[in-house]
Amino acid sequence: MSFFGFGQSAEIDIVLDGTDGRKKADIKTEEGKKERHLLYYDGETVAGKVNVTLKKPGSKLEHQGVKIEFVGQIELYYDRGNQHEFTSLVKELARPGELVQNTSYPFEFSNVEKPFESYTGSNVRLRYFLRVTIVRRLSDIVKEMDIVVHTLSSYPDMNNSIKMEVGIEDCLHIEFEYNKSKYHLKDVIVGKIYFLLVRIKIKHMEIAIIKRETTGSGPNTFTENETIAKYEIMDGAPVRGESIPIRVFLAGYDLTPTMRDINKKFSVRYYLNLVLMDEEDRRYFKQQEITLWRKGEKTRKNLQTSSSTSPQMPHLVQGGDGPHNHHDVNAPHAIEDMKREDEEDKLVGGGDGSARKKQVSEADQGNE
Amino acid sequence: MPMTPQLSPVEEQEKLLDEALNIVKSQAFQMKRCLDKAKLMDGLKHASTMLGELRTSMLSPKSYYELYMAITDELRHLELYLLDEFQKGRKVTDLYELVQYAGNIVPRLYLLITVGLVYIKTNPCLKRDLLKDLVEMCRGVQHPLRGLFLRNYLLQCTRNVLPDVAEAENESEGTVRDSIDFVLMNFAEMNKLWVRMQHQGHSRERERREREREELRILVGTNLVRLSQLETVNLDKYRKIVLPGILEQVVSCRDAIAQEYLMECIIQVFPDEFHLQTLNTFLKSCAELNVGVNVKNIIISLIDRLATYSQRADDTSSGIPSDVKLFDVFSDQVAAIIQCRQEMPLEDVVSLQVSLVNLAQKCYPMRVDYVDKVLLTTVHIFQKLNLDRVDYTSPVSRELMRLMKIPVDNYNNLLTVLQLQQYAPLMEYFDYHGRKSLAAYLVANALDNETLIPTQEQVDTVLTMISPLVQDQSDQPTAEEDPEDFAEEQGLLGRFIHLLRSDIPDQQYLILSTARKHFGAGGNKRIKYTLPPIVFQAYQLAFKYKALKDEDEMWEKKCQKIFQFCHQTITALIKAELAELPLRLFLQGAVAVGLMDFENHETVAYEFMSQAFSLYEDEISDSKAQLAAITLIVATFEQMACFGEENHEPLRTQCALAASKLLKKPDQCRGVATCAHLFWSGKSLASRGEEIHDGKRVLECLKKGVRISSQCMDPSVQVQLFVELLNHYIYFYEKGNDQVTVVMLSQLIGRIREELPNLEANEETEQINKHFSNTLEHLRSRLESPESEGLSYEGLVL
Repeated sequence: MSFFGFGQSAEIDIVLDGTDGRKKADIKTEEGKKERHLLYYDGETVAGKVNVTLKKPGSKLEHQGVKIEFVGQIELYYDRGNQHEFTSLVKELARPGELVQNTSYPFEFSNVEKPFESYTGSNVRLRYFLRVTIVRRLSDIVKEMDIVVHTLSSYPDMNNSIKMEVGIEDCLHIEFEYNKSKYHLKDVIVGKIYFLLVRIKIKHMEIAIIKRETTGSGPNTFTENETIAKYEIMDGAPVRGESIPIRVFLAGYDLTPTMRDINKKFSVRYYLNLVLMDEEDRRYFKQQEITLWRKGEKTRKNLQTSSSTSPQMPHLVQGGDGPHNHHDVNAPHAIEDMKREDEEDKLVGGGDGSARKKQVSEADQGNE
Repeated sequence: MPMTPQLSPVEEQEKLLDEALNIVKSQAFQMKRCLDKAKLMDGLKHASTMLGELRTSMLSPKSYYELYMAITDELRHLELYLLDEFQKGRKVTDLYELVQYAGNIVPRLYLLITVGLVYIKTNPCLKRDLLKDLVEMCRGVQHPLRGLFLRNYLLQCTRNVLPDVAEAENESEGTVRDSIDFVLMNFAEMNKLWVRMQHQGHSRERERREREREELRILVGTNLVRLSQLETVNLDKYRKIVLPGILEQVVSCRDAIAQEYLMECIIQVFPDEFHLQTLNTFLKSCAELNVGVNVKNIIISLIDRLATYSQRADDTSSGIPSDVKLFDVFSDQVAAIIQCRQEMPLEDVVSLQVSLVNLAQKCYPMRVDYVDKVLLTTVHIFQKLNLDRVDYTSPVSRELMRLMKIPVDNYNNLLTVLQLQQYAPLMEYFDYHGRKSLAAYLVANALDNETLIPTQEQVDTVLTMISPLVQDQSDQPTAEEDPEDFAEEQGLLGRFIHLLRSDIPDQQYLILSTARKHFGAGGNKRIKYTLPPIVFQAYQLAFKYKALKDEDEMWEKKCQKIFQFCHQTITALIKAELAELPLRLFLQGAVAVGLMDFENHETVAYEFMSQAFSLYEDEISDSKAQLAAITLIVATFEQMACFGEENHEPLRTQCALAASKLLKKPDQCRGVATCAHLFWSGKSLASRGEEIHDGKRVLECLKKGVRISSQCMDPSVQVQLFVELLNHYIYFYEKGNDQVTVVMLSQLIGRIREELPNLEANEETEQINKHFSNTLEHLRSRLESPESEGLSYEGLVL
């Protein structure tokens, strides 16, 4: 950077090693634009070269040193001043001196810990980037380069199905089942809804995937609910005894792994919201948290090629056991109350607190 | 203010449908354009938008059907495009998954089915799993109308890919068992949706809903058609898997409309060979159907089908397998159904019996006992209900009538009907009108088929059976019947008597006696119709004996007995205050006796004649009737040649006397003129059967005629009588009576000519004139061309 064309200036270029072989991943910018960056995983070495190109060949560039930083930071939009760096590694590339020609500095951050996943939310951003600084007296020459980090998990040890009887007394009584509680991002939610009592005129039923982003702590907690997907799973009014299949493919939606209390700054959680709407547009719903995780793609590929006889085999329902007998599975099952809301807007826009109160009060009445 | 005219519901529907069809059209167009440019994803998006129209709740089933047809038609393009791509090897990975991202379930499932079909066609080893997946996923649409059409689409699409092999080489390609499960599941779900329609919406719209359901029923029925089209479904699979599967759903759905339709469907779509082997199962289910179901129609339909089958099978010699006791099974099951459906109206119960009889008649035409068994069952049912009489106007009576007429129509033989032991007892349940109507039907049938009743026992049975026609009944209404109807009905009976006939004369006699006993009790109104045929039958029988006289020594005695029988019978008619009829019967009898030559037949003949005379004298008072009677007596007597002079003379004299004693002059004149013939062509033993030709007495009679007519005051009548007499004269002249001369003729002609012009000109006079001039014409022609050896009219003055 130079004022009025005086003095020397330089362009910095960061070239990472193995660019051709490395995957890239999309990430949204704050403004919602999609960008593609190189993708790194936890523990991977981030190495490459920093090329400094002098703008005026032959003339020298004085500097107070050249350094490269590897930064992982969390940025809360409402608190722009404070950016929380959870990782910050520095490598000095050159001691203070003069640059007389274009210079290339190799660098390596070996086996860098990248504990969190890159994330751009509505109130928070978690990003990783490399920053090269040529320190000068007046103004530094800085170059940043974003990378994307995905956190991979291994297959969870415990992955029970979610099974629950819910309802509103003398009105609606259903049992639902999701085959797992933890889904990887390319997973399929398979399940079914079994209607035990229907005294309302149901119009349709859908499953919504809700992302809840919580930032801050204490009184400064902000919660943002976002409906990622609405997926109609039933049209029309079922009768008692009807069992409705659920199959939701997750791969097509913009999802991230579940993040819990990331650096004490924020959380991103996912919920499946089962919503029934009656003919008077009243909604009955039950939210259930699911855990999303990212599965290592390499292992997945290996598995597929080795085991699958038919690569075209689509995901299908498993053995048609038909309307199942729910009682012998979990005999004394507590029936949880569903929530009922008369206004549509409340569903998306928070309002969770009041709904929860209602649930509790109804439950109390039920116990009397 | 803008005028927005209120649209009628029909117009409203048309408008909505039009709008939807327009969207379909434009989306389909864009879909095809995208596909042409190989932009599959965009094409799918348009397909999905197009399919979104099927999410509507505004259309009536009819309009929805039209929309469905338009859309599925367009989906064919997508299917063909994908099929083509797949076959070229350009498979789109995860397409089956891809289409499942559609947010709305209805478009999603249509796309899923379309893509699924392409997968199946290009990769048969996915078949079994995909079929299972599709039929399961369709559960998501619980809206009856949308669900029915969606599943119909599934059924249509998979029509040609359902596995139809008993054993699969590759298990994943599926067997017929998978197809059965697939269709049965789809059927059950569709039926549930269809039934559910009944319970949605307001109760006042029930009628409309039921109408709409009727329109949609074919969608449900198609499942059964599909099952019936699976070739590897053999009897064993049908019996063990298919039928129980269907029946379970039908019975458990507890909906009358569905049950009635589906049971009928089963009957119609599956082959008769299957039905024959699964009768018990099917009929047992019938007993379990809802109260509102017209089980009767279902069973009748099945019976009709099997009956037709058995008749068709006769040609191909397959027939009803002997191990299938068709009648017994039906008989037992129908009894069970009646037993457990107490609320069934009696007419339906009877009409079930009707169908059983139909079955027996069509499948076992020789088994009279089967029909009898049904009749007995019916009697028992009536007994159980303590039923006394069946009112003619009631539906029960109508059905019972059908039941009773079937054997009549089928056998076309009254004698076979008589073999039915329970026929008469069952007939007793009808009220008077019913019994009479059926009796008339029986008689008419016998007449149409000319069924002879050859024994007196049978005659006795028949006449007891048809007694409402024969005799007064205790439950007969007091009101007079329409005389014409009555005459017609009795006339029928009269004709029927001629069918009571045996070739064995002795038997015939017994038959007639039996008939006489029955008809004799018929009362005065009836016997005038019924006894005369018996008398005539008896006369005929006498002739038969005469013909057989060489074979039967007793024939004379028997003839005497017959005439005695006739005499008694005719006397019965006299007691009924009838005169002319018995008179004629006596005369007829006299003629008959006259032709017999059994011992003392002359006495019998004389008796008959004298009876006729005494009837004439005692009972006939009207002058016209008297003239007619005397003419008849004279005519009869003139023909008879069996009398000796001692009998002939008094009869002859009696005739002449009676004629001359008639009250009115013209009657006297005509009577006397008729008597003249007795003296000419009359025959007696004395004349050895030849005509007596007593010309003198003839002339006396004629002259007496002329004298009497001269005394008539009315000139017109007088001239008329003259002309008539002239004709008598001419007759005898031409017959060769030498007492009659040309001079006499001339005189008479002269006299007529004299009087004729004095008559008033009217129609009557004209007739007389015509008669006269015709007579003269005859004479003139005789004059002009005298026959070679004939009589000459020489000297005749015209």
